[in-house]
This record gives sequence, structure tokens and C-alpha cells, in this order.
Amino acid sequence: MSWVTIHRDGKTHRYAVARTREGVWVGWSGRSTYFAADRKSSPAAAHRAVHDDVRAPMTGKVVAVKVEPGNQVEAGDILVVLEAMKMEYRLAAPRTGTVAAVHCREGELVDLGKILVTLAE
Amino acid sequence: MKVLVANRGEIACRIFHTLREMGIASVAVATDPDRQAPHVWLADEAVALGPAEGYLDPARILAAARQTGATAIHPGYGFLAQNAAFARACRDAGVIFIGPSPEAMLALGEKRRARATAEAAGVPVIPGVAECDTLEAARAAAKRLGYPLLIKAAGGGGGKGMRRVDAPGELAEAFAAARREAMAAFADDRLLVEKLIEPARHVEVQILGDGRDAVALGERECSLQRRYQKVIEESPSLAVGEGRKALLEEAVALARAAGYAGAGTVEFLVGPDGAHYFLEVNTRLQVEHPVTEMLTGIDLVRAQIEIAGGGPLPRPVAPRGHAIEARLYAEDPYRDFLPSSGKILMLEWPVRPWVRIDAGIREGTEVSPFYDPLLAKLVAWGGNREEARRRLAAALRETTLLGLTTNQSFLLDVVESDFFIRGETFTRTLESRSWAEPEAPEEVRRVAREAAREAMTAMTAMAASLGASDGTVTPGGEWVDRYSPWGSLGRFRMGAGT
Repeated sequence: MSWVTIHRDGKTHRYAVARTREGVWVGWSGRSTYFAADRKSSPAAAHRAVHDDVRAPMTGKVVAVKVEPGNQVEAGDILVVLEAMKMEYRLAAPRTGTVAAVHCREGELVDLGKILVTLAE
Repeated sequence: MKVLVANRGEIACRIFHTLREMGIASVAVATDPDRQAPHVWLADEAVALGPAEGYLDPARILAAARQTGATAIHPGYGFLAQNAAFARACRDAGVIFIGPSPEAMLALGEKRRARATAEAAGVPVIPGVAECDTLEAARAAAKRLGYPLLIKAAGGGGGKGMRRVDAPGELAEAFAAARREAMAAFADDRLLVEKLIEPARHVEVQILGDGRDAVALGERECSLQRRYQKVIEESPSLAVGEGRKALLEEAVALARAAGYAGAGTVEFLVGPDGAHYFLEVNTRLQVEHPVTEMLTGIDLVRAQIEIAGGGPLPRPVAPRGHAIEARLYAEDPYRDFLPSSGKILMLEWPVRPWVRIDAGIREGTEVSPFYDPLLAKLVAWGGNREEARRRLAAALRETTLLGLTTNQSFLLDVVESDFFIRGETFTRTLESRSWAEPEAPEEVRRVAREAAREAMTAMTAMAASLGASDGTVTPGGEWVDRYSPWGSLGRFRMGAGT
């Protein structure tokens, strides 16, 4: 939680810095970015879900689980419905495949980045 | 009078500020996740509400009022603000509900009856079907109206329980989702279906009534939205020209017809041909009410309290200048506006003239996933629109908030964009454009690397001073992996990159 001031080319640049256990936030002129040490825990990585693991893109409550292990899914099929801040988010299959495992239950509160569903070929 | 504020976040804070100024005793309520929330500390006393849903529990709120001897309840917006049964329960308990009567609330606040009331008062409404409680009814309505259409919660607002439907195949899923959301947000799953007006601008009129008479305090334009949630609001509206007089008069006629008491907002859609259609009445204080306060100098919360206490309506004044509000949300604008949560590690607001900040957060506040993602509102005033816009942009640049993802950068880009400067604002404008995540300049990355290196050095030094020669013991009982990414900066990458 500090300011870093850099003088360069006769100008002063101010950066806000806040560390967490997993990374660093840096703020500059009304913008900010999170630099994650573990890329899998970042919102971007959780959202992409290009691998077999479909992760929670946000912290929230599981309101519906639409698949069971063994189900065949197409890309775009709804796997899990999450709710946070009274908004629903429908988590879709990133690719076609078979549901290998479901790691969440209806009503469960899940953290950002948690693996909710694992897909197999 | 002693006022209990049955709300949280920025609006509870804002109401407590006026109560303090008026010298009125105040009571906060707070659920378990909100025990350390800023609104608790702005009140004279506070009552615990238990689990996260506590703000929606009329019995608990009334019990808190009884327990503290509060004589009035201010509901803020959301939660119980538009719940007529709660307003009635307050009346039965001998507690003043700071808002309209339950009768006026039903006649105007419930979307179906509002349509009927408006039609009777000669105000034009959007083509639609007011009762669509079953999928079959929705299908029949869709057949008659054609696509695209909009499913709405009869008892709600703020985009919750609302779904756009573009094709017959999407109807069933959208209907079910709207119903679930409506139930969760308003404890009421009745729905209605309307034709979608596009491209549309969203214009609303601020009214104040005393049960007999009513006044209009100008309009606000709230066209810039994402998922039917407003993002930027301003007044005067660029969409209203010669139609302004009719718009304000219709709003006043509606308020009078319903015997409306307190603050309310009559919302209209302005279609591509400039025609306006009555949309709904929000029988409460609106999130964007500061825009009107900045132009009129009238404290709308104070007016609400005075009207509830039997006082007179404020005299309408001619609005002066231009005001623009930006809503700072805990959400990721570059990933479907997904809500985010986390602890606010660093917070610095702009301190500059002509800018007002209504905030529900402080440094250290834990933003939980249970409530609306609105964190704060930045409102700038100017002698004209461009002046207000520049001041708002400057205020956004001077705001520092670290610890969770917000839409701050997005707000800045919107306020600085050409379409906004030109005033070309429609309800679909934000969603129809693509918005790029800000690229961190090289210097920012360097600062991040440096900060990580420092953190590692500090950890190792601390471990060494505690007598661990290999640097593996850490304070707080946690293990530090010597081979963690903190030590190997080569693996240290941007969370948002690639």
C-alpha cells in the first residue's frame, strides 16, 4: 500500500502499489492492473477456461448444476449457473467433450478460480 | 423523529449524511458480512441483522426499529424500497415509511398497474402484455408483438429479472432466468412482456409529491447502460428538446393521479422518431438522484424526510448548468461485466472543486459477493456539458482504487470517447461497441516487478531475523515456498495479459 514516484524527462509519474499474497496491484492515472504470480488464479485465466478445467469466473453462489459426469456437451452448452450480487451468470462449455467430473453443488458458495467442472475428450 | 435506514452501501451513507446535518437521530442495520461496512459508522447506533439476506426481511427490520425506538424508516433503493407490504407493515406498526403510501406504490410501482394508471392518465405506453406469468402466456405475447422483445419483472427494477429475447428459441431459457432472478431480488416472480424499442434513449423525470400536489425537478438522461444497469447519467438530457414541457407535465399528472407522496421517478423511453413512451415509475429515491441535486440545490433526502413529516413541497427551481454521474462498479467490463469481490487495499478519491463523491466503501472494506456491485458514484457539475465532462474525466483519473477489479478504466474511456463527447448516447451504445482492456505501460510492469522483488526480500529478511537460515519460516503461520514465483520473477506475468 504505497505510492511510487518516478521522475523522468522532467515529468513526475505516480504509481499506486498494493501487494497481496498472490500478486501485485498497480494503479496509474485512473487505471489499474493486477499482476498475478499464479496466472491460474487471475480473472482472465479463470475466464478463458481453455483447458479441461472449467473454473468459476467470479466468486458467487452455484444456483444450478446442469450436467452430470458422463454427459456429452457441445461448446456453448450451459454447465453451471452462478449468481453473485443478484446477477446470474451462465457458465458454458468452452468446447465439445464429455463431463469427467463435477466439483460443485447447488447452493454452494465458490471462490473465483475454483474448478467447477472437468471435461474429458 | 428517529430514522432507521433499512439499507447499506453508498445510499445508506448518503442518507446518514443528511440525517446528521438535520440533527436527526439515526439507526443503521447491518448483516453479518456488513459488520465492518462504512454505513454502520455513520449512524448513531446499529442493529445486527444476521445472515446476508437480512436487508430483505421486513420482520427483522421492524423489530430493529422497535428495539431502538426509531419512529421512521428510510428504505433507500432496492431491498424493501418498493415493497408495498412492507410500507403497510410500517404503517400498521406506527412507524413512518419515508416514501409513498402502499396504495400509491401499488398503483405506480408495480409495472403492470403502472401501465394501466399511465394509460388512464393519457400518457403513452410501450406496446406489450402486462400479464405473462406462464411460458404459454409469454409465447402468445411474443407471437402478437414479434421479436425482439423484453421480459421484465413486474415487481422489480434495475435490470434484475429482465431479459432481452431476440428469437423464439431463446424464450424458454430467458423466461426461466428472469423468473429466478426476480424471485431472488424482489421475492416476486410475476413477469410482463413488452416490445423492444430500438434504438432508444432513456429519460426520466424527478418528481416530488405531497399526496395531493406534485412538482417536477427536471429530467435525467440515463441511456448509457450495460445489461439494463445504468452506468452514466446526466442532466439536462440531449434527447429532450421541445418535448420537455410535455414530458414534465405528464410526469406531474401521473403523480397527482396516484396521490403520490415523496420522491419518485417517472421513466420514459425516447424512440428513434423522438416519440416518448412511459416505461415505469420508481417509487423511491434513485441511485442517480445527485445529478438533480447538483442542478437544483435541493437535497432530495431532506425533502423526503420533510414530506414524510407533513412538511411542504420544496419550490421548484430552474436547473442550472449540467451534471454528469459515473457509477463505479465492482465488476470486470472486459469479461461480461462479471461482478468482482475482494478487499479494498488502497483507496484515494479526487479532491477537487465541482465534484461530488457518494461512496459506500473505505480502504479496508471487504466487498462481498452478496450485494449490488455499486461501490460509489462520481458526479461532476459544469456550466455546460463539456465542462462537466472534463471535470468528471479528471476526477476519474485522480481516483485510485486497488484490491479488486472495477469498471473505473472503462468509465474513463466512455467519458473520453467521441460518441460521448458528441452526446450520441443510446441504451445499446455501450454493449454494441468493443472496449479494450487498458494495456499496462512498460513502466507499470517495471513497478510491479520491483514491488514483487521487494516483497520477496522483505519476507526473506523477516524469516532470517526469526532464525530460519533457509528462509522458509514465515510470520502468520504460513509457509513461503523458496521457489515460489515471488522469487523467480521470470514467471511473474500480467494477470490480464496473453
